[in-house]
Amino acid sequence: MTQEYIDAPPPVALGNLSATTHNAPPVTKDLTYERILDARSEPHNWITYYGAYDGKRFSPLDQINADNVKRLSPAFVFQSGSQGIHAGPSTYAFEAAPLIVDGVMFVSGWDGFLWCLDARNGQTLWQYKHAIPFDVSLCCGNVNRGVAVAEGKVFLATLNAHVVALNAENGEKIWDTTHGDVRAGESCTVAPLVVKDMVIVGSSGGEFGVRGHLDAYNIDTGERVWRCYMVPKPGEPGSETWPEDGEAWQRGGGNCWVTGTYDPELNLLYWGTGNPAPDFDGEVRPGDNLFTDSVVAVNPDDGTIQWHYQYTPHDLWDYDSNMENILFEQDGRKLLGHFDKNGYFFVLDRTNGELVRVTPFVDRINWGEIDSEGNVTPSIYPEKEGEEVHFFPGPAGAKEWTHACFNPETELFYCPVQDTGSTIARRRREFKEGMPYWGAHVIVDSEDMKGYVSAFSASTSEEVWRWETDLPMCASVLTTAGNLVFAGEPTGYLNALDARTGEHLWRFQCGSGHHSSPTTYSVDGRQYIAVPVGWGAWVEGFLPGMMGGPHGSAIFVFALPEE
Amino acid sequence: MARAREKQLSQVVSELGLDKQNKGTIGRLLNHGGIGQVEEDADGRMKIQVRIPEDELTYSPSITVMPHAGELEIEFFNDDTNTHCAQVPSNGDYQWIWLPNGSRGKVTVTLDGPGYYWYGSNVGNDEGRGLTGAIVVMGDVPEEARLDRPAQPRP
Repeated sequence: MTQEYIDAPPPVALGNLSATTHNAPPVTKDLTYERILDARSEPHNWITYYGAYDGKRFSPLDQINADNVKRLSPAFVFQSGSQGIHAGPSTYAFEAAPLIVDGVMFVSGWDGFLWCLDARNGQTLWQYKHAIPFDVSLCCGNVNRGVAVAEGKVFLATLNAHVVALNAENGEKIWDTTHGDVRAGESCTVAPLVVKDMVIVGSSGGEFGVRGHLDAYNIDTGERVWRCYMVPKPGEPGSETWPEDGEAWQRGGGNCWVTGTYDPELNLLYWGTGNPAPDFDGEVRPGDNLFTDSVVAVNPDDGTIQWHYQYTPHDLWDYDSNMENILFEQDGRKLLGHFDKNGYFFVLDRTNGELVRVTPFVDRINWGEIDSEGNVTPSIYPEKEGEEVHFFPGPAGAKEWTHACFNPETELFYCPVQDTGSTIARRRREFKEGMPYWGAHVIVDSEDMKGYVSAFSASTSEEVWRWETDLPMCASVLTTAGNLVFAGEPTGYLNALDARTGEHLWRFQCGSGHHSSPTTYSVDGRQYIAVPVGWGAWVEGFLPGMMGGPHGSAIFVFALPEE
Repeated sequence: MARAREKQLSQVVSELGLDKQNKGTIGRLLNHGGIGQVEEDADGRMKIQVRIPEDELTYSPSITVMPHAGELEIEFFNDDTNTHCAQVPSNGDYQWIWLPNGSRGKVTVTLDGPGYYWYGSNVGNDEGRGLTGAIVVMGDVPEEARLDRPAQPRP
């Protein structure tokens, strides 16, 4: 007998079964490159990853200030949770920096989520969900650090190594370009950066032995304009720092998984590069291993490297240098400041990469020493097969990818510090594409650790004040003209500190650890602080003592009470 | 050898009653509802039919294999005596469909690269009891997206 079936109701996009309104005002339609160049002239907005190309993570807003911050309260909370079975079900985390354009928030989540929200109340205006394979290769969790916006579009780099451009008014896809090779272990977690008519996107996958690269795509078509590899082929500049006639360069790492900064006058991108691969087995890749663990100054017009500075030559400790290179001026000099995983604070002349100063910023450093001339002397590192060594800082670094900030009014840098060690032993393995390629076993300390937010003088690099915590600080800090520094803790507390003295002024328990980049904005004259909260990612690397910490998936948005 | 091991695994799962509801344990082991390969039209459009057999709380096949990325049409048939649904990943948003008892319905999804993707009936604990399926996308990424390096050894 033939079964008679009834017709099922037609399928719907899951987001239609929600309170989403499905459209947003056209706030990004006239968001041009010229506006991004002058981003801090519109302080009510946060239109690019760091707030401006200089990477300062400083806002001129001062409605919330050191005098009234004790009255700061939640204005609204946005929550998502997770859906179904997705990649990294135990490691998904909220790492993004929310962008805000004229009252509309654009923020990415884990597993291909992107939300467009009303920045006054958290109402979802539209959402996009990229389908991410369950088996995608992720060293450090199911995360994404944010989006870029320009010319009516939102740009998202996905975990399966695509770059998509969406219509900023409704989330509909405009173009989708394959950026990397998931079969080789590549992925994408970086927040793209719009420069001129291009969107710049870096690669992830340094723990899988890929060859790191930075790419530029035309914002209108998605066509690739250039690709710049961070490990040279034989014969190319820098190839002399890799073994001759070897295969090491093919798997050399040097990924570009954190957003760079940009100086439009010099027309240079300053992009940090990741660890060489394998992370801890340096014997298979003798040499300095350029351009890993470096800042590279890249001409955005053609993707060529103009100069480089390598923070950790021949890395044996997993000391990526992806983290921000903050652009600032001192006595007429164009400088950049960089807090490296290796525990040193570098100040470089950003016109040519010359070292100006280098000083330690964490109490415990014993992996080696960098003298005032920048000479590196390694001391403790995995060398003999199976023999454990213990060193400070551990592989998550004295500062992880999470960002420092710079306040031009106080002329101080503020840095979230992780003072944690690790035990590592070399464990050689054969390279196989798509498989983890660390060359070691790794046990990061769960005891005898601490953290702090430290303020450093821009003119001398000396520590001016320190606010100490029991646990390492693993979230980006934010500073404002309200004489404030905001810093989230792994315990869930968000704190406000006096930017000049470090005095603790306010805190709020958000219920889950902080590992994101808070931003600030204003709408209709009211200032807000937006803080994505959701503990996860590479916790076993940066704070295994909090592996059992509560997960979360919320954006807390704070403001002063309305009169 | 590998196929023999799979056959042996299926046999052991069956002997233990893990491919049935409330036999070896409460539910049914995920993804033991068979494997099916999509049909591909000349224009590259891929299709498959997936059934929910009575009292089995599984999608059959529970593993759908696509030879490459692209658009897939899944026609669901609910032969069960209870209402279920399917939440299927797709670029843009999940596609979601009610599947009342004795109903059929089509869902079209777009998956843009290799890997496997889970879908499920996201009501009650249908997913845990066995109504969880995988869509496997085989193949490689486009040539232009691959790394500029010689072919590398794989496991």
